[in-house]
Formats: sequence, C-alpha cells, structure tokens
Amino acid sequence: MEIIRKQVIERVDPDAQTRGTPAHKAPEQDLGNELIPKDRYISAEFMQREWEGIWSKVWLLGCREDQIAAVGDYICTNIGRESVLLVRQENGGIRAFYNVCMHRGNRLADDGAGHAEVFQCSYHNWQYNLDGRFKEIPDLHTFPQGAPPCSGLREIPCDTWASFVWFSLNEEVEPLREYLGEVVDHLEPYHFERMSMTRWVTAVWNCNWKASVDAFSESYHTAQTHPQLLWYLDDYNVQIDLYDKHSRYLIPFGVLSPRVDSAPEIPPPLKVLLKNAGIDPAAYDGSVNDIRRAVQKHMRAHQDALGKDYSDLNDDQLTDDYNYLVFPNVTFNTHADDLMLFRNRPHPTDPNKMLFDIWMFELVPAGEERPKLPKHDFREEGSSRSLGLVIDQDASNLASVQAGMNSAAYPGLWLSAQELRIRHFHKTVGEMVGESSGTRGT
Amino acid sequence: MDLGLVGKRAIIPGSTKGIMRQVVEQLVDEGCDVAICSRSEDTVARALRELSGGRGKVYGRACDVLDKEDYESWIAEMAEALGGVDIFIPGVSAGGGSDSEKNWWKSFEVDVLSTVRGCEAVVPLMQEGGGGAITLVATTAALETFGGPQAYNALKGSLLVYGKQLSQSVGRDMIRVNAVSPGPIYFEGGVWAMLKDTMAKWFEKTLRDHPQGRMGTAEEVANCIVFLSSPAASWVSGTNMVVDGGFTKRVQF
Repeated sequence: MEIIRKQVIERVDPDAQTRGTPAHKAPEQDLGNELIPKDRYISAEFMQREWEGIWSKVWLLGCREDQIAAVGDYICTNIGRESVLLVRQENGGIRAFYNVCMHRGNRLADDGAGHAEVFQCSYHNWQYNLDGRFKEIPDLHTFPQGAPPCSGLREIPCDTWASFVWFSLNEEVEPLREYLGEVVDHLEPYHFERMSMTRWVTAVWNCNWKASVDAFSESYHTAQTHPQLLWYLDDYNVQIDLYDKHSRYLIPFGVLSPRVDSAPEIPPPLKVLLKNAGIDPAAYDGSVNDIRRAVQKHMRAHQDALGKDYSDLNDDQLTDDYNYLVFPNVTFNTHADDLMLFRNRPHPTDPNKMLFDIWMFELVPAGEERPKLPKHDFREEGSSRSLGLVIDQDASNLASVQAGMNSAAYPGLWLSAQELRIRHFHKTVGEMVGESSGTRGT
Repeated sequence: MDLGLVGKRAIIPGSTKGIMRQVVEQLVDEGCDVAICSRSEDTVARALRELSGGRGKVYGRACDVLDKEDYESWIAEMAEALGGVDIFIPGVSAGGGSDSEKNWWKSFEVDVLSTVRGCEAVVPLMQEGGGGAITLVATTAALETFGGPQAYNALKGSLLVYGKQLSQSVGRDMIRVNAVSPGPIYFEGGVWAMLKDTMAKWFEKTLRDHPQGRMGTAEEVANCIVFLSSPAASWVSGTNMVVDGGFTKRVQF
C-alpha cells in the first residue's frame, strides 16, 4: 500500500520539552547502502565469531529484580551454550554465576525460576552456598588433591538497572550504565519498577536471532504484515535515532497511517486506545485525526483519576511507541502504560534457530492489587499456540525468511532508509566480530 | 427501462462518501438535480467539484444534521435552489458500537431523529409539489441477529416502523415511502474495508456466510435506492427492500 496522504505529526519540541525522554533527533550517521551479507544469518562460522565478539563480551539482560525478590530466589537463564544463575543474596544483593558444578560439569539448575537454600548438584551432591562458595563436598577426603582451588561457582559481573538484572560473561566488561549509554536517561522516565510483569513466554523460532531483531527494528513491514495497525499508528512518519551501539524509533500511535485515506468511523483499535485513556469512544466527537492529541491531553489532565503518574513522560510518550534496541538483543517496546520487552537469544548450536522471549509489563493503577508474577510459559519448536496477533504475524514471516536466506539465489539484505536501524545494528555486529558490514558474501 | 428521473430534484444529506455518494452519482447520471451535504466544508466543496459537469446539477453546503435549525434551513435552501423536492433519501448513520450507553443516544439522534426531522421538513414541500418519494436506509442487522445486541440494529429497526407508518399517512399526498436494508457492503473507505484489516476473523466469517462468497457493492445498493426513489417504482410504497445477495437466512413473506 502506497503513501496516499501527507501527514504532519505534531511532536514534542525537543528544545522546549520540560519533562520526559529527550525527543532530540540524533545526528545522522552515514552507513552506506551496501548489501548485508546473508552468511551472518546462516553460517555456523559467523555464529562462533558472534559468540567470541558479542555474546561473551557485552552486558546481557537476565531477569527482573522482583523475579528474585527473596533470599535464595534465583533465575537460571541460558545464553548460547552457557547457562547462568542469578541469585538473590542474604545481604539483599544479587550475584551471577555460571550454572555448572565444578566437579564433573553438571548443571545445577534448569532454565527458569527457582528457590534454593543451597545449590545441590544432582549427580554427587556437591553443595554451594548462595554466594557460590563450596558448602559441602561429599567424601572430600577421597580427593587427594583437595577441593578445586576456585572455592566455588565461577562468578561473573552482575548489576541492576531500571528494575532489571543484567550480567556479562566478560570479566573485564565496562560498567553497566556506561554500556547502556543514552538508554539510561531515555528509559528511566518510564519507571519500569512501577510496572508489573504479566507475561513470560519463551518460544523456539526457526530463524536466526538477528532476523527477529530486524523484524522489530523497522516499520516498513507494517502495511503488509500487520494491516490492522494501519488503523492505529503512523508507520511512515517515524523518527529513527541511531546512537553508538543502541538505537530507537519513535512511532506515533493514535493516528491513521498515511497509507489509509480516512476511516468511516473510529477504528476498533483506536476505540481501545480512547477507552484505556478513560475517554468514552462513543462520546468522542472529534476527528479521528485528532485522537492522538486528545488522548495525550486527557491522560495528562486525568492522571490522578487514572491512578497513574505520568509526570516524567513527555506528551508524545503518552501515546507513542518509544522503541529501543539495547544492543545486541533486547527490544524495549515502550509505552506510558506498558512495556513489551523482547529478548532475542541465539540457539546454542544452530544459526537457523533462536529463542524468543516475551516479557510483558503493565502499569497497574495506584490502589489496585498488583498481579502475581507470571509462570514461565515455554513453547517448544513448532508450537502452534498463539503468542498474540501481532507477534504471530511477525513469527509467520521469520521461519520463511530464514528458509529463503539459505537459498543459493539470495545474497543478503537489500535495505531501505526505513530499515536504517537494521543497517546500524549490522554495523555494530560487524565491528564486534571484526568485520565491516557489506563487504562479504556478495 | 426509463427510471423517469430526468429533471427530478433530490435532497440527500450526508452524501459525500460511501453508498449515499454512489446514489448521488447515479441520480446525476440519470439527469436528476441533487443537493448534498456533509459536516465538513472542504469535503462538500471537493464533492461539488467532482460531481460538476454531469447530466444533473449538484448543490450543497456544509451542514450538521444533528443541528435541527441548521438541518432544516439546509433543506429549505436546497429545495429553493432545486426549485422543489421530489426525492428525499436520508441515509446518515452513527454506525455500530456496543461499548457505551452513549451509542444509544448517538444512534437515536443521528439515525432516527435526523431522519424524522428531515421527513417532517420535506413532506410539506412534497405536498406542495404534488408528491414525491422518500427512501430510508436501514440494515439487515435490524432484521436478523448480527454483531450482538446494539443500538445500531435496534434503532435502524425503528426506522422501518416509522417509514411504514409514514407511508400510510402521506399516501394520499402521492408521497411514497420505502426503505432499503443492505447487508454487509464492501467498498474502499467503507466500514467493511476497515474491518477487513482490523477485525480480520470477523470479516472472514461474515464473508463466508454470504451464499455468493462476497459482500455487496455500494453500486448494487445504490441501484435499489435509486429505483425505489424513481417514478419507475410508482406502485411501490411502504416496503422494505432487502439488498443482501441472499445473506439473511429468514423467510420474508
């Protein structure tokens, strides 16, 4: 569907804004127009270079702090071939360890959430305290060389930010906030710590992890893949900002796409937007084109009645999607009342597969009871259970994209300006694996 | 067949888009002079531009049919410009919705009250002119359960009752009153084109429920409205013509 209307989106003036996430347009970067070679998506050799250059070097998202609220609560999360334990300590802190018994290499815990007084190996019952130190080694006297000199589990860097727990497999990693850069100031105004986790799903997808990052980094696919969203957002007048490793785009919600001429009545998804903001859609007399501003004004004026505190957000943030990619693999799809967080993890061995994590959060109105933490919902490969309409629509492309990338006919990604974040993402990937983008595989 | 529309004069509120726009275009093609309106001046100006140069003349200005005074003066002005009124087709609707009590007030005001006010303003003009034709626009959703209980269905139903009884009271004045009840109609810019994207499952189900596997077009509905409103339908009054390609399952005796 072509652009058929010129649409001017009224945006917060970045130079005059008194609150909220900075809306400034980031300086343009010249990223060239080269093709992105497809071997980055299908080659086991490239996958190994990613492990060495990216996964074992950067900060990685582990869990939410409130998932491990009590002493002994832990999250076991896998990254590639590694498995990591994030453990709440007796002093209230959090420490991260490789999830591997130093005796014969057994895993101490399974992927997911758990609680332990001590970590016990199921093989020979080697025991570790919550701080990772050996608690007990059965028949220690039969080890003539004594206990391993490491004194316990191998610890790795761990830190928290914005209610999330992060870890790194790189002992020399820079401080977390330094790594996150602009993202820190940009996302803290949302106060994720006030939001409640409502969904925790992991699905095995038949595509490379970068194909999924790509899908959530551009709005060019909206018209074909998510036609319903053309009645809810402007997929074309999108502000793209590229930073050092990270990037964002700002998508206006609460408007029709310029690919749609007009609406015969308020489209169903915009009715939901009005309703959630406390406006009766049937009582709304204005133009469909003015819904975005009407919702912003209403939310601002009635935040107390809504039981929400939007004082740290700018007006655009009350409706729009501020969508951040925290390199390498976390999409923060951020809104005033919710956060849809996607974590894209590589498969341990196969470049044609990945693990897709959905973490959903909602801002619960003041005075209302917060929902209980969700249980981990793991979807095996090939599961046909819905992940929600929009994600199902994306997922249905990705397996077929991966299959097509393996074709002899396909050289690599041929990108538009609307897909600039993908180009930027690949520049960083290329630099970190020691290869500039667009120079191979053509 | 000659519809006998050459030189006739029609007033059609809310007619810059959709089915009613199609009615206007067909009437103009038949040589009928037509008056149009919508709430937006720009929209009316654009429609007047697009409709100019046809067999019939087209008049119009912006008018809000919810504003009694504005609506009545629009009808009076248009009747004067046209030199009388032979045809009146009030097809303005608030559309569907079951998410708020406000839907009932809106459907009453837009679908029912504006129609009644329009008819009451037009009937004396038609009496003066020696007769005329009024065609109301209802829906098959008033005839069979569709889309859940809601104001749109119920109040469109009340239009059928009103239209029938009006036809009895003005019959002696040579004024015919009929209604058309379209089923789901698909056209670019229409509700079903939007629902195809935004409520895809509902759209697909509704499509499957049609015996011919498609929805109607605006032209197919306009054909029936234009016929009922024309002198060719001189012996038809008080009827409700269902235009749904066989979508409804009931028997209409």
